[in-house]
Amino acid sequence: MRAVTQADPAKSAGSAGPLAHRRPLGDRGFQLLALVAGLLVLIILVLIAVTTAQQSTTWFTTAGFKGIFSTDWDPGASKFGAMAFVYGTVISSVIALIIAVPVSVGLALLLTEVVPRRWARPIVYVIDLLAVVPSVVWGLWGILVFVPWLQPIYVSIASGVNGVPVLDTLFGGHNVQGAAFFTAGVILAVMITPIITSLSREVIATVPAIDREGAYALGATRWEMIRGAVWPHSQGGVVGAVLVGLGRAMGETIAVALVIGGSPEVTGHLFYPGHSVAAVIALEFGEATGGEFRAALIGLGLVLFVLTIIVNLAARAIVERSARRMRGA
Amino acid sequence: MTAASEQPAVDLREPAGWRRTKNQIATVAMWVALVAALVPLGFVLVTVIQKGAGAISWQFLTSSTIPPNILPLGVGGMGPAVIGTLIITGFAALIAIPLGVLGAIYINEYGGRGLLGRVIAFMSDVMTGVPSIVMGLFIYTLWVLHFGYSGMAGSFALACLMLPIVIRSSYEMLRLVPNSLREGSYALGATKARVTLTVVLPAALGGIVSGSLLAVARAAGETAPLIFTILIVESTNTNLFSGPNTALSTQIFANAQSPYVGAQARAWGAALTLIAITFILMIAARLVTARFTRYER
Amino acid sequence: MHLRRRPQVLTVGGALVAMALSLAACSSSSSSTPPSGSSSSGSGSAPAGGSSSSAAAASGTINAAGSTFQTNFQQTAIQAFKQSNPSITVNYDPVGSGTGRSDLYKNTVLFAGSDSPIPSKEASEVPSGKTVLYFPVQIGPIAIAYNLPGIKGLKLDPAVLAQIFQGQITSWNNSAITALNPGVSLPSTAITLAVRSDSSGTTQNFSDYLVMAAGSAWKLGTSSTIKWPSTAHEANGGNGVAQAVKSTSGAIGYVDFSTATASGLEAASIKNSAGQYVAPSSSAATAAASQVTPKSDLTFVTVDQGGASSYPITYQSWDLVYAKQPNANDANLLKAYLGYLLGQGQSLLSQLNLAPLPASIDSMAKAQLSQITS
Repeated sequence: MRAVTQADPAKSAGSAGPLAHRRPLGDRGFQLLALVAGLLVLIILVLIAVTTAQQSTTWFTTAGFKGIFSTDWDPGASKFGAMAFVYGTVISSVIALIIAVPVSVGLALLLTEVVPRRWARPIVYVIDLLAVVPSVVWGLWGILVFVPWLQPIYVSIASGVNGVPVLDTLFGGHNVQGAAFFTAGVILAVMITPIITSLSREVIATVPAIDREGAYALGATRWEMIRGAVWPHSQGGVVGAVLVGLGRAMGETIAVALVIGGSPEVTGHLFYPGHSVAAVIALEFGEATGGEFRAALIGLGLVLFVLTIIVNLAARAIVERSARRMRGA
Repeated sequence: MTAASEQPAVDLREPAGWRRTKNQIATVAMWVALVAALVPLGFVLVTVIQKGAGAISWQFLTSSTIPPNILPLGVGGMGPAVIGTLIITGFAALIAIPLGVLGAIYINEYGGRGLLGRVIAFMSDVMTGVPSIVMGLFIYTLWVLHFGYSGMAGSFALACLMLPIVIRSSYEMLRLVPNSLREGSYALGATKARVTLTVVLPAALGGIVSGSLLAVARAAGETAPLIFTILIVESTNTNLFSGPNTALSTQIFANAQSPYVGAQARAWGAALTLIAITFILMIAARLVTARFTRYER
Repeated sequence: MHLRRRPQVLTVGGALVAMALSLAACSSSSSSTPPSGSSSSGSGSAPAGGSSSSAAAASGTINAAGSTFQTNFQQTAIQAFKQSNPSITVNYDPVGSGTGRSDLYKNTVLFAGSDSPIPSKEASEVPSGKTVLYFPVQIGPIAIAYNLPGIKGLKLDPAVLAQIFQGQITSWNNSAITALNPGVSLPSTAITLAVRSDSSGTTQNFSDYLVMAAGSAWKLGTSSTIKWPSTAHEANGGNGVAQAVKSTSGAIGYVDFSTATASGLEAASIKNSAGQYVAPSSSAATAAASQVTPKSDLTFVTVDQGGASSYPITYQSWDLVYAKQPNANDANLLKAYLGYLLGQGQSLLSQLNLAPLPASIDSMAKAQLSQITS
């Protein structure tokens, strides 16, 4: 009887009620431990920002924020303009999105709408295989197999579009190379497809069946049902998934470093070699002489950190907002 | 009834014309998307298996030294890198999994609707998107500059990478545990810690284990966090706490940039080994989920 | 009932961990456990022959990092050294000269490989009171690799080289190039430059050569990174440049000779200061090195030093060590290994497409070994 009249331990969790002091020490100790573990995430994020900012102050004070936008990268003359790398990161990520989004969304729709449930599971397993291949293996295959294979293809495309106004700027040029922006974009597309697919599937699966059935009842074809019932509900979530994929593409280091060509140039020719923020940090940290070069590279790391945090925050915010809207609807 | 006989017969075929064509195009496009996603996977796996199989041998996996780049295949192997990957990833898992599960416990059991719990959950989702190279730089500035290169520094960087993944998957699993289990335990007079450890955690254990295995698989394949923290060695270093080390991923990265055929062949062998390790972990994760789910039903 | 599941998962997990650990234990037979550099001196085997200055038998680990130019030599020497000194483990990480030096300043490595002496702007990073000793270890040629199918033995001189790499000569059948190569029909292909984007000792020494040999015709200065013409294709690492040259017809680039040979590229013959066109090779590099006069601290410049059979774009690399070591075992380890590099190790160089040190410099370096004290 007495046991029943004791305080409910669950109620005292987290609250400083009058019965809190009755909780045994081990119980409170465990809560503290769990709290510290949870806080670790916040602590690490803050520490990352702080330590990288500290180590890169010399770069920010000399180059300033203009440094991020200057194309003058000449470590020998202590010039550390980062624009070429930011450009490369953006371009290769955009190419990756242009290729990956139709494929991923199409795949997600295939798995939720077209394929019978029994076949969906093995296909999902295979897509997970795609997700688990390490970045360095993509890079190894990229540099030893894909790049040499692409080289003659690029050359023939470039000579084919020679003279055609827009295409020549994008795909032309007299010195195209297998290791280029476009190659990096293609490999990035393959690497981000699994995450966009799985997040989109999660979103599309939450579309209420009643909307789907209603559309079919009105005589819609499958495509019309997707456009009319699935898409309005899931577009926010899919946009969020795409942004998560964008964040991944921007932060991808090793595969890009091996196939992008390592040439810090801002150019519209997609078949020319380029560089990216993550790649330059990985490749040049070794030969960085002098505090200023190293500070510039760590500063680039901070820029990348901030960019990916912003993209991921936007992605989560959009997904949450659309989920909230759907719950309301 | 009479109305029905006056109305035209309902056409139950698919709509003719453009609507039907659009539907067919869309369906074909979706199947093309599947092929487009699978073709690169097929290419990579076939190439890695083909080129790597020629390199793999028992001696390759257990050799005590990594031979010079210029030497062809046959001398030495990637033993030090295999050991390095196993112990560095293992230690990272030892750090990240308990901390991640505890963090998920906090969010789910103690955080509730409070602001702190939601902030931690949100930020750990955001943290999954932080590039691995930033983690490597972070540990470099925080640890390596003061304590030097070591396998442990690499483990720290990998643990930072794994932590949000483990938190996220554990949190999803803990959420699925029905409240009735908790309430029943409270009714029996258990403290919150006891309930969590002896009832909730075992109920979610299958999912937590499989989520953790996937996080380990991801960490085993990472390169960027290690290139700033472990340096490279030519012979096996089993001491995690001092002295540089090497791992399969960093060796592949180094060898991929070498012009020597022998070094490249060893890279393929190492790639096959790495893929085998990550696939085994992934399959183990699936097996754990499968057995767990079946039991639930 | 869920509780029954737990032991199964634990056993599987425990088995995996046990497997990993036992694998580690099994193959640790020739590995070492002590922290970088220092360890208990045990009864090691006799030190490598040829270096009389190596002290009492030492055992332990030497961790080193630095120049990528030294990669082949260090890797081969480490393997050979292990045969005669199984109790000493050496690790060399080719992170690049810059990081190698900064690792030395931070004391995370025992020696650093560097293609150039410590630049003046780094002088403040050397811990005060510490003297750095330079031990030259290898000499090697920088090849000017080109991709012109069917054309072997292309001849170039410093002035034309400077114009090519500044983007002033843009096609292969330019009169300046054809004048140097009578009888060879050069195509009208455009010249594509392949250069390094990353900071590199190869770039440093190549630009040093252009400054010395081409004089005022070379306007881009000398540094480990150069502001190349915007039409140049920059690539990362020597292998990146080699791949760029290999894949583009009409490309020309500078890369160290062993990488060029491994990639199957043709190298041009360069006119040296004696007026002879010499192709890169181990013997031509040795000839170049024999013209060198080192300073008292054993730093020197090898490019463009003259000699009829010298290959003019030859460069060198040093291993940097602190003269005063914190403990006796570290000093002995260094003397043993560096002594090997300067002694028997030199015979490994010619098969690596590198050149051994000239005898005079070698003996000066061996004598300098005694300055490593503890």
